[in-house]
Amino acid sequence: MEAVSETDVQFWMAKAVNWGEATSCSALLDTSRHLGSLRSFLQQVLQGLQQMSSTSEAMKMFPFVGQFLGRLCWNPCVIADERSQRLLLRCLNCLYSAEPLNAVEQKANMWIKNMLCHLISEEEGSVAHATVKHAGLTPKRYHSEALQKVVSLMTEEVIKSCDGLPNTSARCSNGNIHAMSTACAALVTCPQMSPLIGALLKHSMLCGSSCLNQEFIKEVSEALISKRLVLEDEAVVNLWCYSPTCLEGAAVSLLESVLSDHETMTQSLDKHVNGSLLPQASADHCHIFISVNEIYRNVLTEIDENLAMRALIQVFTVCFLQRLTGQKPQVQTGFMKDRLPLRAFFPHVMPSLLTPLLTAPSEVPREAWLDHLSWIRSLLQSVTENEEVGEDVRAYQAFFEAWFLLVQCGYWVDTAAELLVLAAPENAEPLLWLLTFFHHPTNRGHQRSQQTAVAREAWTHLRMLFLTRPPPPRHLSAVKELLSSSLSANLVLHLFSNFTVFSHGPVSIITEITDKVLTEAAVKHRALWILASIRCRLNSAATWDDSVHSRLRTLQDTLLQT
Amino acid sequence: MEAVLRQLTNILELLAVSQTDRVREWDRHTAHRAFQWAEYCEQLHSRFQSNPAVRSALESGLNDTNQRLQQALPSYSPVMFSELAQCQHMLLIHLLRNPSAPNSVIRMLFAAQESPFDQNSLITCKSAFNLLCRTPDRTSSAGLQVEAVVRGTLLGQLLSSVLSRSGNDEYARTLLDSILHDSAGKPESLYDVIAAALLSPDDETSSVTQRCVLAWLQEHEGCLTKLCTSLSPGLCTVLSRQSSEFKQAYWGVLKQWASCLEFDVLESLWVPTSDEPVTFLILTDRFKDLLDSGPPLKEETETELRTLKREAGDFSNWEKHTEGKSTLCFSLPADRGRQCSLHHQPCTLFEGYLWYFIYS
Repeated sequence: MEAVSETDVQFWMAKAVNWGEATSCSALLDTSRHLGSLRSFLQQVLQGLQQMSSTSEAMKMFPFVGQFLGRLCWNPCVIADERSQRLLLRCLNCLYSAEPLNAVEQKANMWIKNMLCHLISEEEGSVAHATVKHAGLTPKRYHSEALQKVVSLMTEEVIKSCDGLPNTSARCSNGNIHAMSTACAALVTCPQMSPLIGALLKHSMLCGSSCLNQEFIKEVSEALISKRLVLEDEAVVNLWCYSPTCLEGAAVSLLESVLSDHETMTQSLDKHVNGSLLPQASADHCHIFISVNEIYRNVLTEIDENLAMRALIQVFTVCFLQRLTGQKPQVQTGFMKDRLPLRAFFPHVMPSLLTPLLTAPSEVPREAWLDHLSWIRSLLQSVTENEEVGEDVRAYQAFFEAWFLLVQCGYWVDTAAELLVLAAPENAEPLLWLLTFFHHPTNRGHQRSQQTAVAREAWTHLRMLFLTRPPPPRHLSAVKELLSSSLSANLVLHLFSNFTVFSHGPVSIITEITDKVLTEAAVKHRALWILASIRCRLNSAATWDDSVHSRLRTLQDTLLQT
Repeated sequence: MEAVLRQLTNILELLAVSQTDRVREWDRHTAHRAFQWAEYCEQLHSRFQSNPAVRSALESGLNDTNQRLQQALPSYSPVMFSELAQCQHMLLIHLLRNPSAPNSVIRMLFAAQESPFDQNSLITCKSAFNLLCRTPDRTSSAGLQVEAVVRGTLLGQLLSSVLSRSGNDEYARTLLDSILHDSAGKPESLYDVIAAALLSPDDETSSVTQRCVLAWLQEHEGCLTKLCTSLSPGLCTVLSRQSSEFKQAYWGVLKQWASCLEFDVLESLWVPTSDEPVTFLILTDRFKDLLDSGPPLKEETETELRTLKREAGDFSNWEKHTEGKSTLCFSLPADRGRQCSLHHQPCTLFEGYLWYFIYS
């Protein structure tokens, strides 16, 4: 089986010869552009070599390999890249014969040993050799300190070249910055490099012109996402401002990590979201908030009924709002940068909706919640009336934006659900309306009117279930049936979860009822996401209620049991 | 102390053996033990490098062992105390270069997790350093290449830390000697590093280090002169500003160069009289740079020129002559049109400079 194709071999051999020792700027640039694909090719070569039974066989199958690996070992851009280096060394290891059987194998062994010597030491008689030899440090320590020094010299140079004033791009030596970023592309995961990387990113922010090497940006972005690089928060945000692609990558990476691990995520969603730096970056840069929302909004419309997505959006918005209100007013070079009005962050929404929805429940006294929710309901209802009126695209757009704002501010829907647990029947109507609208916004495809009836029915059954002891079997099976219907399931589950957490009966009831009602694993997973948003809302609540939290924990444990 | 000396002898013998065919008998276990010994040796170095009393005892022990081993093994190269910090590295290199080293031992050195030390981060740092030093346009404000600046700074730091304990002057000079020796044949590239070392530590320790380095340069015949020749006028000026020791030494070199120039009356030129690679142009360039540098160096140089003029004999009847009389032209070809006509009498260079740069 052909491990590597002849075309690939020719292509990469030509590249290796062309690059030489990467002394010219163009060679360096080309090498950095190809690092990723070179790694894949080296991986293929390694796999091919691993299948060989001897070095002689390897040299027959892959006659190019000696020259190829040798040339790459002399290219510091390739060697400095951690992953390429490891692949190269593993290839050399494969070619080393423990017991050489012929002259070819013996020669190969000698050549490999020489190569290693070259990689770890300097040419004898050179100043480099002499200064390292008598430095009183191990070569590793010496080079680590030398690297740190050259990084700090270069960082100083970058900082000086653009000292923070706008419109000094004339003073910037763009070619220099570009050359530095090209050299850094291969070195992104070297821990000593982060001050220089941070300085280059900050420079790009201040200078405005795009003088950073694209490969550099790409490598930094990938390394950040895969956690192979740690940068200061400011540097990461600068990267996002500089490159919309990187911002998108970070938003998607957060999304994927949240969706992939429901067990951990549902228990510490706000911590994880804050850890991604996106809320803080969004509070500082309006365009970041808008971009992230754009991405999440699109995902939501594609997987409409995904509770995990809604929880993420809701928690992201909460974290963002917390950062926004915690912001100190910014001072920028002599003039005060006013805090942006909320309107700027939510440009497409009816302004009248912003205040009621963006005010957190913790900022409203509990007695006023019902009135507040009625207010929200009446505003939203007027929007839905427009939907019915006609086929106006703009009206539909306004409708969608209003609904999305409600999803972002889902803590009010959770509040409505909490109130429903103890509400008197005459107060339930607006609360049920909101809950239904949240899950089934339109009458085209969502059957809002129909679902409102389902909501009321579910609510009635749940009240009976949780207020009567022992739980009447008739209501138990009614709830179960409603949950099994695919269209209403989330709405009913939402109500159910809130009843479990906020009703006043004994804690043992929770396990009893939950075990009987929530029997399928898939349903339990979804319930965990609802819990996640309840938990986040309670974390920022004005008061801490022990019994509520213990019910929450009990429900969590029950759901996690397989 | 006895025990330590014995151990040091053992380690040197170990290093010697690793270069001979006796390593054929080594297995993985032996090799592992050898590296453990080497690591211990590194610890000895770190413990005693700043301690003059213990270190010199160890150094003389090393000396004896070196001599003995050199007699036994002709290819043996002596090991200095300063090298002991890299004992494991030395052992590794010896084994890699020794064709008799068993392949099982070599394989053991490859394997990332089991090997006595991790080569990956060394290789990464080293090539990262090389890569960054090479990116175009990498020169510091003093005109030195970045690599020289970094190596010089590290050297300066090393010397400062060694000299911070009293009694280590000799050792500091030994270090410089070893570095010179190991840059065999190309001391010129070392000068940039030395210049950077002189510039580098920017604190209270700097003058001690500078004095030590300059004293060392002056001990080595011609080294100081070669250094000054090799470094640009601009760099020498920067160094003179930063270090009064260097400034004095530099003036000394310039004075010596000046004494090699003689005035050729027929050609109206200052010509070199010896093999020193100094010409009127070069010398003038350097004085110009010093005098252009601004206070306080400018005034200090002026004063120095006056002193030198007095020492060379005071020709004080200078008059500006117009046409008619044969004139002594004192001009720099590059400075078109700027000429100073002087009395037809041999003057000293210094007086000429004074007139040219300052009075005219």
